[in-house]
Parts: sequence; C-alpha cells; structure tokens
Amino acid sequence: MMAQVLLSFLLGAVLVYAFSERRRSPVVGVLALAAAAAGLYFVWVPAHATTLAELAGVGRGVDLIIYIWVVISLLLLLNLHLKLRTQTEAITSLARAIAIGEGRRAGSQAHAAPRPESGELIEPLSAAERSAWHRTS
Amino acid sequence: MDVWVVIAAYNEARAIGLVLAGLAGLPYRVLVVDDGSTDGTAHIAGHAGVEVLSHPINLGQGAALQTGIDYALLRGASHVVTFDADGQHRPEDIAGLLTALAANDADFALGSRFRGGAIDLPALRRLMLRAATWFTRRTTGLDITDVHNGLRAMTRRGAGRLRLRQNRMAHASEILHQIAASGLRYVEAPVTIQYSRYSLAKGQRASEFVVILLDLFAQRLHP
Repeated sequence: MMAQVLLSFLLGAVLVYAFSERRRSPVVGVLALAAAAAGLYFVWVPAHATTLAELAGVGRGVDLIIYIWVVISLLLLLNLHLKLRTQTEAITSLARAIAIGEGRRAGSQAHAAPRPESGELIEPLSAAERSAWHRTS
Repeated sequence: MDVWVVIAAYNEARAIGLVLAGLAGLPYRVLVVDDGSTDGTAHIAGHAGVEVLSHPINLGQGAALQTGIDYALLRGASHVVTFDADGQHRPEDIAGLLTALAANDADFALGSRFRGGAIDLPALRRLMLRAATWFTRRTTGLDITDVHNGLRAMTRRGAGRLRLRQNRMAHASEILHQIAASGLRYVEAPVTIQYSRYSLAKGQRASEFVVILLDLFAQRLHP
C-alpha cells in the first residue's frame, strides 16, 4: 500500500508535468501523459498489469511498470533536450543581434568619420581642448 | 554585383591570415564572423582589413554562417559565398561558382569536390562523404555528388531563404534540406579541396556524423 501511494504521488506529478508540457512539445507531452496514466492504472490494478505483461511476453506486471517508468524517464530526458535547444536558439538570436549590431555601428562610424589624410591621425579632443572650444564658439 | 564572402571562423589564428591574403585583391567583400575565438582570430582578420563580426560566445559554424548571411543581406549583398577558414578552399573557385549561378539562372551553386578535386582526401573520409551523400540524396531528393562542402555561392534571393537553426555541423545538411524545400534552382560546380593536416584536425570525425544525425532528428521533433 505504501509503495502504491508513493508511486501514485510520483506518477501524478509526472501527469501534471506532462499536461503542462503538451503545448511546448506536443509529441513528448502526449506520450508522457499516456505513459504516466498507464503507470497509474497498473499501480492500482496490478492484476491487469500482469495480464498485459503476459500478453506482451514481459513476465511479471511489476516488470511492465518498471519498463513504463524507464520509458517515462527517457521521454522526460528528450523533453529536456528539446527545451535546451529552445534556449540555445534564444541565446543564438541574442548573440547574433549583438554581433550584427556592433558590426553595423562600426560600419556607420567608418562611414561618418572624416577620412584622414595620409599619415594624419584623428585623435579625440582632450577635456581642456573641449572646454577651450566651447569658450571660443 | 556586390559579392560577399562569408567566413565563419573559430580559433583559426593559424590559418585565417593566409586565407584572407588569398582573397585580397579579388572583387569581393570579405566578412569574417569570429565565433567567440580565444586565439586572436578576430584581431588578425581586423588587421587584414576585412569586416569582422564577433559572436560574444562560441555558437558553432552554422550559427556563424547565418549571422554572416544576415549581415551581408542587410548590407545589400547581391550574392553570398560561404568559404571555410581553414585554408582548404581555393579563392579562384569562387568565380566558377558565380559563373555557374549566372549560366544556369540558379539561386544556389554548390561546390563539389567529386566533380572537381579532393587533394589528399583520406580514404575513410571519402567513404563517409559518399555515405552521407547517398543519405542526403535519398532524404532531400537533390541530385548532388557532394555534401558537407563549405564552399557555395547563392544569390540574394537564395540566401534570403536560408534560416539555419542547426548551430553546429548539422547545418551543412540543413542547408541542403532548405534548398530542396525552397524549390529554387540549384547547380553543382567543380571545386578543389586541398586537405592538410591542419584542416583534417579541424574537420569532422566519424563520431560527429552520429551527432549530426541526432541533431537533425531532434529538430524534426521540435520544428
């Protein structure tokens, strides 16, 4: 009984998680939902699990539940991988925007700056020069 | 014609100077996308007088190429050429690709080392490429003789159709899938790839083909 309650609690949590994930990744969400629901059912009706296990050639019902659990774990792993991909895409967009933004700024500055004559260096005004310029203008 | 040569580079300090010297003097704009290198690649490229964009972190060759393509299009490129940073491509092949585009009224010209030449290509690599080509022909329906060849040219229209989401090496397959999906005309042109110990060390290993397949599979699950 203890094990059944504990398993039900865990599978219930998976069920809620899978339900909340079904919009983000429908394939994984639906599969995890189905696997968790099947697991929940077999925890409370182990006789059916045994019947089904025998039909599937697995042996014992408890083995079938363990296999279902393994499948759920793999699906959650896959979901994690897909989420990671989504995050990587967001990071890529951000890094690309930074790189292109900086490139465009550098490009526009190169166009806007007066072309120095050969050998002439354009240096920014010092603070003293800037205040002198303000005073005379 | 405003041709932009996009070079994705990650830690290519040893090779990039020579590659850019080979492209100097040709009538193309050269853009290096430094993909978060830590060895001064961007610095060397900047000194060579070409445009440089820098990813703040390393994302992969596919991501760098897409950044370069986006930027070139923003700057008004009429044609975009992708070119490897490791010195295995010949600058003179670019003209052949551009001619192939114009002569066939195509939007993509794909370099093929098996129509041109592959100097010092190891036998195992040749076998892997043949297998990958067979697989890609079957999955995309494209009539091609080479895959994972980084030397290609495209028109502005073609480049605008590409939206690479495979940041790493699977982008080469993704480009071919997107070309097939675009329905635009493509053509293969002979190019020569000169392998070196350096380029082979930087290139793909057999195990990476498995990762590429997994990446492509994952994308199908999460379009």
